[in-house]
Amino acid sequence: MKWRKDDLEKYVQAKEYIDTILVPLVPFQLTNDADLGKNAFQQEVITIFANEIEQELSGRVLLIPSYLYLKDGDKAIEVERLNQWISETKNQPFKHSILLTFDSSWKKHEKELVGDLLWIPGVQTGDIHSKEMQEMIRDQVSQLSEIVRSYW
Amino acid sequence: MSEEKKQQVSRRQFLNYTLMGVGGFMAAGLLISPVRMAIDPVLKAAGGGDLANVGLAVDDITSDPQRVDWSVDQVDGWYESQVNRSAWVYKNDSDEVIAFSPVCKHLGCVVSWEGSDQYPNEFFCPCHDGRYYKDGVNVPGTPPLAPLDEYEMEIKDGMLFLGDPKPHREA
Ligand code: FES
Repeated sequence: MKWRKDDLEKYVQAKEYIDTILVPLVPFQLTNDADLGKNAFQQEVITIFANEIEQELSGRVLLIPSYLYLKDGDKAIEVERLNQWISETKNQPFKHSILLTFDSSWKKHEKELVGDLLWIPGVQTGDIHSKEMQEMIRDQVSQLSEIVRSYW
Repeated sequence: MSEEKKQQVSRRQFLNYTLMGVGGFMAAGLLISPVRMAIDPVLKAAGGGDLANVGLAVDDITSDPQRVDWSVDQVDGWYESQVNRSAWVYKNDSDEVIAFSPVCKHLGCVVSWEGSDQYPNEFFCPCHDGRYYKDGVNVPGTPPLAPLDEYEMEIKDGMLFLGDPKPHREA
């Protein structure tokens, strides 16, 4: 289910079936010109991934708004804030929180996170319209859905 | 922030890229006026109806369900976009072509033919172990309460054309 009115109304009726939260982790920076394009591109792609995974598993997964943070901000603070987000979701019967990211810097803090980090390597840049990119995405999405299912 | 919101609101964002390009998509976002929003429900339910060639020759359809993916233009709310569709297609015992929507009738996950080793010869939904027999009818005692939807279909020049999903013939 997506973060929109219709889906959330459905969620409230069927919450015993929806036990997994999906959170895209999206870094933001406006300092380093050389990386701007890449960062924005990754944001686009992670959103597509999140939407596609949600589509495959919509009956059990709630995709919540992306978690945004400063790219070079203090990770210790971010870990704490992100954990607060996750504990907020525990006000509902969610069993799994899956954090989707391209940002490898979370890897170092994986143990401190209350959710399961799903780090996706690669995808530096490319043409989002291209056939290859779409095939790559389709491919990765089915593998990612597989991973999400492995937590169940 | 509004960009963010749109992405949450609609997965068609991705599909919009192919149709309008990123710029066009953003521009479309900016052009939506409150008036347009107010009359939006009227705009719904346009589109559809036409059948699309899904790129599968009828001769290549066997008695084993295979998945086909295609995309159609769709007007949904204020966006005209491409949506991806898929179907499970096979020939039944009377050699009739059957095309099921893969969307689970419980809460909408995507089902797969023989998606679980434990349940051969059935469609399986990974979310809550929903099951459907090969004829699309839901297995009693599993969460789905209705059979899989069937696509409107036509066969032209030996190719399969599919339209919108409709309730199963037995539903
Ligand atoms: S969504 Fe298919 S069994 Fe629940």
